[in-house]
Amino acid sequence: MALPVDITFDAVDVDFDGHFQLHDINWSIQFGEHWLIAGANGSGKSALAAVLAGAGDLSGGTLTGLPGKVALVSYEAQAELIADELKKDDADILDVISEGTPVAEIIQRDTSDPDLANQLIVQFGLTPLLSRAFRKLSTGETRKVMLVRALASEPDLLVLDEPFDGLDVNTHPMLLEHLTRIIKTTPTVLVLNRIDERPEYITHIAWVEHGRIEQQVNCADPKAVAELNQLLHLTHTSISLPDPDPIDRLPALDPSKPLVDIRNASVKYADNVVFDNVNWRIERGEHWQLTGPNGSGKTCLLSLITGDHPQCYVNDINVFGFQRGNGETIWQIKQFIGYVSTQLQWEYRVSTNLKNVVLSGFHDSIGVYTHSSDAQKAIADQWLEILGMGHRANESFNQLSHGDKRLLLIARAMVKHPPLLILDEPCLGLDDMNRRLVLALIEKICASGKTTVLYVNHHAEDKVAGIDQYKNL
Amino acid sequence: MGTNYFNSLSLREQLEQLGKCRFMHLDEFTEGVDALKGKKMVVIGCGAQGLNQGLNLRDSGLDVSYALRAEAISEKRQSFKNASDNGFTVGTYEDLIPTADVVLNLTPDKQHTSVVNAVMPMMKKGSCLSYSHGFNIVEEGMQVRDDITVIMVAPKCPGSEVRAEYVRGFGVPTLIAVHENNDPNGEGLSLAKAYAVGTGGHKAGVLMSSFVAEVKSDLMGEQTILCGMLQTGSLLCYDKMMEEGIDPGYAAKLIQYGWETVTEALKYGGVTNMMDRLSNPAKIRAFELAEEMKDIMRPLYHKHQDDIMTGHFSSTMMADWANDDKDLLGWRADTAETAFEKQAAGDMEISEQEYFDNGILMVAMVKAGVELAFETMTDAGIIADSAYYESLHETPLIANTIARKKLYEMNATISDTAEYGCYLYNHACVPLLQDFMKPLKSDVIGKGLQLNDSSVDNARLIEVNDAIRSHPVEAIGAELRGHMADMKRIV
Ligand SMILES: NC(=O)c1ccc[n+]([C@@H]2O[C@H](COP(=O)([O-])OP(=O)(O)OC[C@H]3O[C@@H](n4cnc5c(N)ncnc54)[C@H](OP(=O)(O)O)[C@@H]3O)[C@@H](O)[C@H]2O)c1
Repeated sequence: MALPVDITFDAVDVDFDGHFQLHDINWSIQFGEHWLIAGANGSGKSALAAVLAGAGDLSGGTLTGLPGKVALVSYEAQAELIADELKKDDADILDVISEGTPVAEIIQRDTSDPDLANQLIVQFGLTPLLSRAFRKLSTGETRKVMLVRALASEPDLLVLDEPFDGLDVNTHPMLLEHLTRIIKTTPTVLVLNRIDERPEYITHIAWVEHGRIEQQVNCADPKAVAELNQLLHLTHTSISLPDPDPIDRLPALDPSKPLVDIRNASVKYADNVVFDNVNWRIERGEHWQLTGPNGSGKTCLLSLITGDHPQCYVNDINVFGFQRGNGETIWQIKQFIGYVSTQLQWEYRVSTNLKNVVLSGFHDSIGVYTHSSDAQKAIADQWLEILGMGHRANESFNQLSHGDKRLLLIARAMVKHPPLLILDEPCLGLDDMNRRLVLALIEKICASGKTTVLYVNHHAEDKVAGIDQYKNL
Repeated sequence: MGTNYFNSLSLREQLEQLGKCRFMHLDEFTEGVDALKGKKMVVIGCGAQGLNQGLNLRDSGLDVSYALRAEAISEKRQSFKNASDNGFTVGTYEDLIPTADVVLNLTPDKQHTSVVNAVMPMMKKGSCLSYSHGFNIVEEGMQVRDDITVIMVAPKCPGSEVRAEYVRGFGVPTLIAVHENNDPNGEGLSLAKAYAVGTGGHKAGVLMSSFVAEVKSDLMGEQTILCGMLQTGSLLCYDKMMEEGIDPGYAAKLIQYGWETVTEALKYGGVTNMMDRLSNPAKIRAFELAEEMKDIMRPLYHKHQDDIMTGHFSSTMMADWANDDKDLLGWRADTAETAFEKQAAGDMEISEQEYFDNGILMVAMVKAGVELAFETMTDAGIIADSAYYESLHETPLIANTIARKKLYEMNATISDTAEYGCYLYNHACVPLLQDFMKPLKSDVIGKGLQLNDSSVDNARLIEVNDAIRSHPVEAIGAELRGHMADMKRIV
């Protein structure tokens, strides 16, 4: 049973490996209060949440009352766990390939109440995944495992950073209901990008900016909440899309042919079938939205198109005039595509700067290994400008917050105005303002007439004008 | 089994083969994968290298399928799942080998003789057989049919990296070679180049070498600095810390993760950078310890290289293969019983810098091992480029396996050849360093120097810095890392 907490930050400064600092945090969380931490991407809201779980080095002030057992669910924690799992892959002169840790073991490691764990596993629909390797799960599934693990550990303090992001329509209300049930006994701190999506039980909001808590709002005070809302809804200046590369490097496409023609596709492994019998024909200029619950294979279907899924070679797939498996290279396919997904973000683990990340979109690479033209560099600068990162071009990509990374990868996907733009939950982890920016960019690119868009998302309100075809898995 | 190929060469030929190594420039690969286009490539074995090389080759537009032994298919073993889950055609030797233009032998080295003997009669006239390691040809003297071209394409990285770098649009450093006895149509080099392009290796740097140079350097590296030195170092450092009353959980953690942390610095800036992570007094101390160890261990490194050159090492090991691995399994069991292995790492935090500060002796051991292995190889006629890849370049990769699972698991998962050599080294090196270890205290391993004043004599510091920076492994390392970094840094 959780203990009453009473956490006090008194003029606290926290340093994160010299890359980021929180300053002068004065804050207290009393038993019975349920805080929401909110702020823009890169503001430090996730960092503040992570401090509750012991992250960072205290460089000033005093922090008292942190309970011993804190469970944290966040993108960073999720990415770290995935990275740990990837590290377990074979090294040189090894004879054995590791399969990765099964989901059941990941959950068990921290479980204090096996009955509760089992109940949550059923509720979250994880039963069929228990013996699968954790690192092979989809983004949404990984998230669910993290949540179940945290809830089943019965922590003294539960810190959930964007817990609803990426969850399918059925899981979202279920989690909310569960949280509402346990908050009486388990103090909970939430981090959300959209304060309008906060659960009703939230009593206080801490608004973080530039590594400081700028406002603390008691939700019982409607005037203060209204002011905060207003702050969030500053309108976006009208933006225009930077030009494409002036030199068109792409081979011409046959206008009479569809961009993508997938017939009767299936993806199966020795022990499970992801989907069967999927047909999808995408004509030029037809913008699509793809929907389906977590684990239904949306990312998998898209990766048949991008060529990242090895089973693209055993399906009847025609993309950009190439019937797959006839001697074409993966680079011949990728040159037509701009792509962003959580998977890509995890794989984008090279030490490089922000500008190179945008430039890498011209070369379809992770990191940059060939020269870029001056025109391409100028275009990359324009994109950084739009994202408000113009002055940060030489900063290191690895040290950005999750949301800032996401924005850059969206620019990387769009930079070449690709014939096909695949956006797999692009707004995941973006704050309200940036979400609007990204949606506006997507609308512009849809309307430009050169790019066909495939879009996956879970948020009903993230509608994009111009997308009028729907596919459900 | 044939006789040792290397020993069948004249001294002049031996030296010529050992000294063969040339860094190839990107513009030598303009023909891309053309030499393999439309050819049928059949991979035998679908493990770490087999699967990942195959994925890359297929994504480069080549025709790849897998021939597995019948049991692997009927029992649906992991190798079968690897190939079929990834959408490859899988068949038996009989199904696929007769149609193959290129057969890629990516089974464990120990199995090569039986595998090659089984498939050779089925291979097409004029086809090609390729390896990713030359042990079978050089040490076992495998005789391949005259009409078959024999090549080697050996990525100098784990299979998972081979794939990950390709997907990023890059590659891993790769060594290629043509077996001169088997190049009937003179097409070996163009096939090997196309294969290296297919795996992405050409982007990261290709060394044109020989089977002999690859084997003699690979064996030397893995048994001395890569696995042997890290094993010996782990055991000695742990026992010393126990003697000094350090908390066992802390000691186990410092070692288990320390190798990975300190060698990470090697990866970026060689021995110089690793040493620069220490404070000035600690650097001087580590330097002196390393010098002392180098003098003590030099004869051992020479012996290992000599035994590798004469074939004594491989014949001893093959005798153990014939004896059901009795020695190997016994030594593996002994490792599991060591004090270090049995002590779980504690859950205290150790910061990255603390691994350096409290692990001065470990840094010294890495320095001594890397430099000695490199010196010994180059003295034996191996070109600096290969010697670098087989010593310094791979050290962080092995250190990483210790971080994951400690020694027993490192040994169970490295190839049997590496493991066998590692134990030989360890058995000789532990007693050899005994007297050296005796007077050492926790200041060099476990606690750090804990000086109030970290001033040093300027002249001595300059001398030490010069000695570190002017070691030949640093020059070639900077050049080869430069080739990779250049490409990675381009804007
Ligand atoms: N690992 C590395 O980092 C690395 C780096 C460079 C070069 N190499 C070289 O690459 C080659 C392959 O090494 P690896 O590490 O990829 O090996 P591995 O992961 O152990 O894979 C070996 C494969 O061969 C199959 N196999 C085992 N015994 C066999 C037999 N008697 N007959 C037929 N197939 C057999 C195994 O499948 P089943 O048991 O299911 O049949 C397995 O799929 C070696 O020559 C090695 O020296 C490795």
